[in-house]
Amino acid sequence: MAVDYSVEPTLVKGRLSLAEIEELVVAPLDSKPNKKYLIALAVSVTALLIGGALLLLTFYYGIGLWGNNEPVGWGFGIVNFVFWIGIGHAGTLISAILFLLRQKWRTGIARFAEAMTIFAVMCAGLFPIIHMGRPWLGGYLLPYPNQHGLWVNFNSPLVWDVFAVSTYLTVSLVFWYVGLIPDFATLRDRTVSKIKKTIYSIFSLGWRHSNRHWQHYEKAYVILAGFATPLVLSVHTIVSFDFAVSVLPGWHTTIFPPYFVAGAIFSGFAMVVTVLVFVRKIFDLQNIITMDHLEKMNKVILATSMMVGLAYGTEFFMAWYSGVSEEQFAFVNRMFGPYSWAYWIMVSCNVLFPQLFWVRKIRRSIPLMMMIVIFVNVGMWFERFVIIVTSLHRDFLPSSWGMFIPTMYDAGILLGSFGLFFTLVILFTKSLPVVSIAEIKAVSDGAQPSHHGGNGYE
Amino acid sequence: MQSKERKLETSVSDKKENIEDMKKEKDPNYWRSFEELYAKKEFLAEKNNEFKDGTTTAPVLSEMSAFSRRKFLALLGASAAFAGTACSDYYDKGEIVPYNKKPEEITLGKANYYASVCNGCSSACGVLIKTREGRPIKVDGNPDHPVSKGKICLQGQASIMDLYDPDRLQSPLKKVQNRFEETDWESVDKQIGIALSTIGEKEIAIITNQLTSPTENKVLDEFTTRNPTAKVYSYEQFNETVRNSAWKKCCGTNTFPLLKWNEAKLILSLDADFLGTDPNRIENTRLFAESRDVMNKKFNRLYVVEGNLSLTGMNADYRLRLRPDVQYNFVMSVINELQKRDVISTNVDASGYTLAKMVDEFGLSEKSLNYLLIDLKKNKGKTIIYAGDHLEEKVHIAVNLLNDALGNTKLYDSQSTKVSVRFLSSLDDLKILVSRISSGKVGMVIHYGSNPAYNFPADLNYSDVIKSVENVISLTEIINESANLSSYILPINHTFESWGDSKVRTGFYALQQPVIAPLYNTRQKESILLAWMMGDKSFNESLYHEYLISNWKDNIYPTLNSNIEFKTYWYGVLHDGVARSNDKPDEIGTFNYSVSGELNSSNQTVSGIAVQIKESYSLRDGRFANNGWLQESPHPVSKVTWDNYAAISKTTADKIGVENNDLLELKVNEKTLSIPAFVQPGLANDFILIETGYGRTAAGSVGSDVGFNANNLYTSTGGFTPWLYSDVNVNKLPGSYKLVVAQAIYDFTANNKKDLPEKRGIIKEGTVDEYLKDSHFLHRNEKHHLESVNPPIPYEGLKWGMSIDLNKCLGCSECFIACNVENNIPIVGKDQVEVGREMHWLRIDRYYSGTPEDPQVSTQPMLCQHCDQAPCENVCPVVATTHSPDGLNQMIYNRCVGTRYCSNNCPYKVRRFNFFNFRDHFNDAHQESPVFALLHNPEVTVRSRGVMEKCTFCIQRIMDARSDATKDGREIKGSDVKTACQEACVTNAIQFGDINNKQEEFYKYRNHELGYYVLEHLNIRPNVTYIAKLKNIHPEDA
Repeated sequence: MAVDYSVEPTLVKGRLSLAEIEELVVAPLDSKPNKKYLIALAVSVTALLIGGALLLLTFYYGIGLWGNNEPVGWGFGIVNFVFWIGIGHAGTLISAILFLLRQKWRTGIARFAEAMTIFAVMCAGLFPIIHMGRPWLGGYLLPYPNQHGLWVNFNSPLVWDVFAVSTYLTVSLVFWYVGLIPDFATLRDRTVSKIKKTIYSIFSLGWRHSNRHWQHYEKAYVILAGFATPLVLSVHTIVSFDFAVSVLPGWHTTIFPPYFVAGAIFSGFAMVVTVLVFVRKIFDLQNIITMDHLEKMNKVILATSMMVGLAYGTEFFMAWYSGVSEEQFAFVNRMFGPYSWAYWIMVSCNVLFPQLFWVRKIRRSIPLMMMIVIFVNVGMWFERFVIIVTSLHRDFLPSSWGMFIPTMYDAGILLGSFGLFFTLVILFTKSLPVVSIAEIKAVSDGAQPSHHGGNGYE
Repeated sequence: MQSKERKLETSVSDKKENIEDMKKEKDPNYWRSFEELYAKKEFLAEKNNEFKDGTTTAPVLSEMSAFSRRKFLALLGASAAFAGTACSDYYDKGEIVPYNKKPEEITLGKANYYASVCNGCSSACGVLIKTREGRPIKVDGNPDHPVSKGKICLQGQASIMDLYDPDRLQSPLKKVQNRFEETDWESVDKQIGIALSTIGEKEIAIITNQLTSPTENKVLDEFTTRNPTAKVYSYEQFNETVRNSAWKKCCGTNTFPLLKWNEAKLILSLDADFLGTDPNRIENTRLFAESRDVMNKKFNRLYVVEGNLSLTGMNADYRLRLRPDVQYNFVMSVINELQKRDVISTNVDASGYTLAKMVDEFGLSEKSLNYLLIDLKKNKGKTIIYAGDHLEEKVHIAVNLLNDALGNTKLYDSQSTKVSVRFLSSLDDLKILVSRISSGKVGMVIHYGSNPAYNFPADLNYSDVIKSVENVISLTEIINESANLSSYILPINHTFESWGDSKVRTGFYALQQPVIAPLYNTRQKESILLAWMMGDKSFNESLYHEYLISNWKDNIYPTLNSNIEFKTYWYGVLHDGVARSNDKPDEIGTFNYSVSGELNSSNQTVSGIAVQIKESYSLRDGRFANNGWLQESPHPVSKVTWDNYAAISKTTADKIGVENNDLLELKVNEKTLSIPAFVQPGLANDFILIETGYGRTAAGSVGSDVGFNANNLYTSTGGFTPWLYSDVNVNKLPGSYKLVVAQAIYDFTANNKKDLPEKRGIIKEGTVDEYLKDSHFLHRNEKHHLESVNPPIPYEGLKWGMSIDLNKCLGCSECFIACNVENNIPIVGKDQVEVGREMHWLRIDRYYSGTPEDPQVSTQPMLCQHCDQAPCENVCPVVATTHSPDGLNQMIYNRCVGTRYCSNNCPYKVRRFNFFNFRDHFNDAHQESPVFALLHNPEVTVRSRGVMEKCTFCIQRIMDARSDATKDGREIKGSDVKTACQEACVTNAIQFGDINNKQEEFYKYRNHELGYYVLEHLNIRPNVTYIAKLKNIHPEDA
């Protein structure tokens, strides 16, 4: 197919006028929730409540309700934590790194991806607290001056986690909110409801779309993007230290930081695609979140899938090359041990299926794309399961080997975390513009001053 | 200066008056009364002297109200405080009251130790009971006791829990219309008194366990004298009657002599678990381990020919698998081979038996048998051949003969023999009793601390027969099967609440004293009988105590030839727990070779599957079933907890078509038993071993309905012995039953798992020969010294370390139970062991190597290694686990938030997490009952839900020793401290002390050339040294 590289491809399809774009984006905010919306909300709230109820029981009786044991001290709790943190990587990558790289196509999906980041990090942040034996003492992980003269252990990766995750959440939230300010102003200007007007007025911080506002805004946004960019890399690096710092075969490896970051981007993009496919359909945003967007994301998924695959291979190579027998055993045990099914789910979902994205038709086919990204989500969850459970269940002393069998509490709380995530996503789609109105207008055809033509508007 | 000031004052006051006067004159219009206006003289005088006497007076205390302002305020404040606190939910509901008058012998915070006797079994070991503030918290062996020498078995140690068992009966019960009602002792005494006096010609049967107390025996004798129809039956399900009767036939004396295991160069055990379930195992173990001594390079060689894989078999240098019902053929073959080689000559014609045939038929290793014959020849007079109690009489006769022919009689101990104050009743006696009961000739049955309904042979149908007896009285601590069939259940004192004495050997008596007043309305069982004999209302608390003293004074003391006056002597014995006596041991008679006529020369043939019923390692014959610590202690070989099972070899299991957990049905003599199978490596083919003690239907809330009742197969007739059956019908049943194993089962023959413990540097072993040739052989091939990125932290002063000699460690679990008791380890229950949440700080790892048919077994106690560069410490986010300056890895429960990262990062997986409040979780909070709290060691925190815990190296003991040292004004030494596991280890395999002190004995162990660290290559620098096990095998066999 001949592609004309001299012309920038149109990012907003359907020759929408600026006013139409605005109408399209805010339409869900203006309409009353319909039946489908309520059903979706009811389903996810139910999941959330199931998780919540099981969590309360866990608080009451103890972590023993979960499947964790000796030697598998970490089970679903930490698997879910790493999984959700990974999901939370796409947003900031799209909004910050792609922004700095001047990838204009990001505007259609950035807002949504950022929101997902925040919700995912919120889900993730729950798990380290609830997986503790005494969650009511979670404050001990914070270095605060106290009369006991006690301090946290800055050698422990878990303390690094506390800072990494909380920083990431804070920065993502600020970044997201700063991006929302012009949109809040737009919403304020549009609405006729007094209550809404008050709320939007407060959140828009007196934004008047003035030139000076825009100047400051753009600068602030670049700075924040610059600030958020290293975080994308650091958070999952630090999460990977939870494992890499230990002495356990299967955990104690230097490849973990890049491997985890690639995996996080991989899973994050997969989750964004999963949700966006629905959102663009339901809210009729096909012209703004176009097939081109989805295709680009699928390309990222393909690239990161291969990075992850390379990492899997490298781990095996290192196990063999290092000559450490425990390490070799751990990896053979991954492939052929009692949890080999989990390993093969992981490999097929994360490495094999995404290879289909080499085919352009598959990249651009909604059903196939959906299938693959869901596989990726499953595969990435299992990746963490494999790393955590299979490494722990057979470590150094054969006498202490064991099996981890999840209980209904494990499953229910995982379900609950999805409930929390989707409840927040669903509420978000009805209460805030899922696409940045200001940014999408800026990249729509004709919005940019042009001297040399090329887009047919001259 | 002072006088000047005073002057000044007066002059000022003078001036003031003048001014007043002037004012008055100047302005007369200001007046306050007519007197003032008219300037009455008296008034003016009075006015100018306002404070003259009588106008106002100083307060007179005596005249004032007793209710002072100060008191008023105090009371006001107090009532406000009372009102404030009384109306709130005051948190502390407990009372902590200091001693008002301090008892002389108790110092708060300091333990007292009392010597006593354990009545857990017929061994009657001497114990030393540790009490704190009047409550016993730990039991150890009495070091002055000639048999125990400071060590006791796991049951003895765990029996402290039985004292505080919440299921203990708290008052007498009487059966009224099929249910039990509480009653009082007076009416019980009265009613039984009437029953006894109206018994007429009918028999009074008293069924007791083996008696060890001469005074108690005297009580029973007096009872039978007073009630002429009374008859005492003493019964133990597992006993040495076969061995003793064989001995009597051979040498004429009643009891098999004691053996000098320590002097044997060679031991051949024929299905005898002399280190595991033998009644004398504590002494056996100690003496056996004396000859497993790397320090003095003294090694015996142990051959075990056995059907099951026993604790003894695990420690064998050569082990041969042979079903027990052909042991006779084996002994005879050995006799034959030795005769052929002219090693011995006897009048026995054993020519029908050849080892070649055994090799053919049972696949015994020819090489090992050859070694055995060579060794038997070489070690004439230095060998012990010992057969199991469950084998037939003729095996024992053959063994006695062989020992005699080889000149091994030198190893019979002539200094001391076992003594029975009352011989056990034979199975025939029991049969007569049962037939008398069924023919209505028995009017009263007293279960005197025994449980015949569970322990009697199944074919006697005791549970059915007993129903016809009018008066059945059970004297017991906890409801049991027999008690449920009784008309009266009388609660008795626990051993630790009782007086008594014991006589189990020649040469000494032991004295038992209570260490706590009875917790409930219970009586000592001897005094119950005494009270019945002496009539109504004769009971008082000191009834048996006085009886005991007078018996000693009148009967025992005079025989002891002491020149100390009795009272002083008595207190001396009470203190020591032991009184030396000078009774002579039985002569060991000469062997009577005419007995060899009993040894027939036709080869015995066996068919089908053999079944052995064996005493459980943890529950014994079932009497410890309600002890959670013992229930949860993993089987020393299979590591199964909370159940018994049919151990079966892989080959036989395949033949029947069963796997682990599949139900089997065993049928013998019309008795059946269904029980899950457990494929046990090292078991003989066509052989099943079942341990009894399980399947109790009424044992209390912990022990009821745990496992399967193997006594269903146990009969008085029909087997080789009551414990061994041949040609048993075994079928697979549909369905399965989950057995819980505390240690992972994996295929140790699989390619990537073969010899894993050895490859990973967990287990390092060698042979005696290697060691004698090159004492540094273990570390010869170590290539390089491990360097650390961080400079190691120097520990210059005292630094704690442990060494465990794997040559002496037999894997018996004594240390394990000691740790449980010392450190308040909760019982988690079968469901939690199943998911891998047992809380044991110290565990015994057992590894197999070789083939599943003939595995080598290695054991290794595993506990926190207190690594210098502990991986657990650097990952804890809240610094809840730290390192002390004396090298301890510490756990701070208060700070722990329960991330479990430390446990993940511990390569030894010795950390334990409180997934629940286990005390609340298990069996309706059995362990949270108030009486259970008395059990806890007050020096060790009872951990709450959600915190990590692990071995502390008994830091409470270190602190105790340190405070003693401080008090004495000296430095604490490594040898001041003994950890609980070390104290309990019968073979002294565990040593503890100061790593840096070169003067100490411990230094030798710590720096022994055979010492190694587990997972040394991780360079985390553990502080537990393991001394590599040496197998004493033939050099060419290595």
